[in-house]
Amino acid sequence: MRSELRSFVLGKARVPRRPEDLTDQTPLLTDGWLRSVHLPELLLLMERLRGTPIDVENLKAGDFRDIDTLMARFGPAARLDTVSGLDTVSGLDTAP
Amino acid sequence: MTALQQALVQLGEYSERLSRVSARTFQNPYTALDWPDALDSGADWFTSPELLSLHGTGYLDELKEPERRLLSFLEAANFYSLNIHGEKGLISGLAARLYRPDLLDVADYLHHFLDEENKHSLYFGGFCTRYAKVYRSRQVAVGNDLPRDIEDFLFFAKTMVFEEVVDHYNRVQSLDARLHPLARFINDNHHRDETRHLVFGRAVVSALWLAADWDTATRADLGAQLTEFLLASWREYYNPDVYADFGLADPWAVAEAAWASQAQQRHRRQASARCLGFLVSLGVLPKEVPDAL
Repeated sequence: MRSELRSFVLGKARVPRRPEDLTDQTPLLTDGWLRSVHLPELLLLMERLRGTPIDVENLKAGDFRDIDTLMARFGPAARLDTVSGLDTVSGLDTAP
Repeated sequence: MTALQQALVQLGEYSERLSRVSARTFQNPYTALDWPDALDSGADWFTSPELLSLHGTGYLDELKEPERRLLSFLEAANFYSLNIHGEKGLISGLAARLYRPDLLDVADYLHHFLDEENKHSLYFGGFCTRYAKVYRSRQVAVGNDLPRDIEDFLFFAKTMVFEEVVDHYNRVQSLDARLHPLARFINDNHHRDETRHLVFGRAVVSALWLAADWDTATRADLGAQLTEFLLASWREYYNPDVYADFGLADPWAVAEAAWASQAQQRHRRQASARCLGFLVSLGVLPKEVPDAL
């Protein structure tokens, strides 16, 4: 997951930047590697990689601070804490 | 005088005319519609089949028509949900500008704009909470500290981009006789108000862009931000939560495959064409369509 996150961040950089400048502690939003508009796609990527939804109700900028924070907050070890418990639509939870 | 104030002074006549139309077509959302007690989600179309996010992807090939209709119901709930989330941000941004000292001249129209957006959310929310659910948004608000003229431009330009795409769906579906009357009503009603909002939005965005004294790098960055916003807005049409509710295995892979399909890329480009054409003609965006779209 860490390497996919790194590729995602490098792919979103606004201006060409050196990959070695991106460490696991590089501030992603405040150093301009990511903008808030990238977060929905980042959340989708992390959900896909871990295979469970992320509770989006109480997210804040600090949750996206750097790659270490993303791993701690949303990585495999954090999965059980962040499943949103999504409801299925009443009466529609049968697969077609 | 701020750039926005300058822009809006030029729009004085426009906004007065739009206000008069809004007053004339004022609607009571609590009496305008008789909500059915229940809907049969597998019996009717709630989204035009050609606008389903899986249209042309191969996922629908094996499905029987009632299953497709069920997907059209879930996708309608998702479309209404993404409107609710978009309008929350819009209402918040409009409220923040209401009676701002430099915007007093257009306060009357901002009231109409706010009123109409609130009513749209009542219809969208009414459908979702009565018959389905409000799908979550993955948009996360993080604080920005931008100069006011940049913030104003991005607010009105993002609003316009969002509404232009939504209006494509509203226009098509308001005319689609296959749809359940409730779905047609919600789309048609939204389209009628949005026509005025889009006129206002295009005029404000043009005036702000032309009046500003931003350098080339700032303008290029604003264009890039709008492109990113357009892409992020489109991503919400391919919601894994919908595919999970529909019973598809690995809903994130389905979302990714649908996003990447040629049929859906063609659809996004077609549905975005008016919006992109306007932004290109104004010089906000380069002529080339973004690869990722």
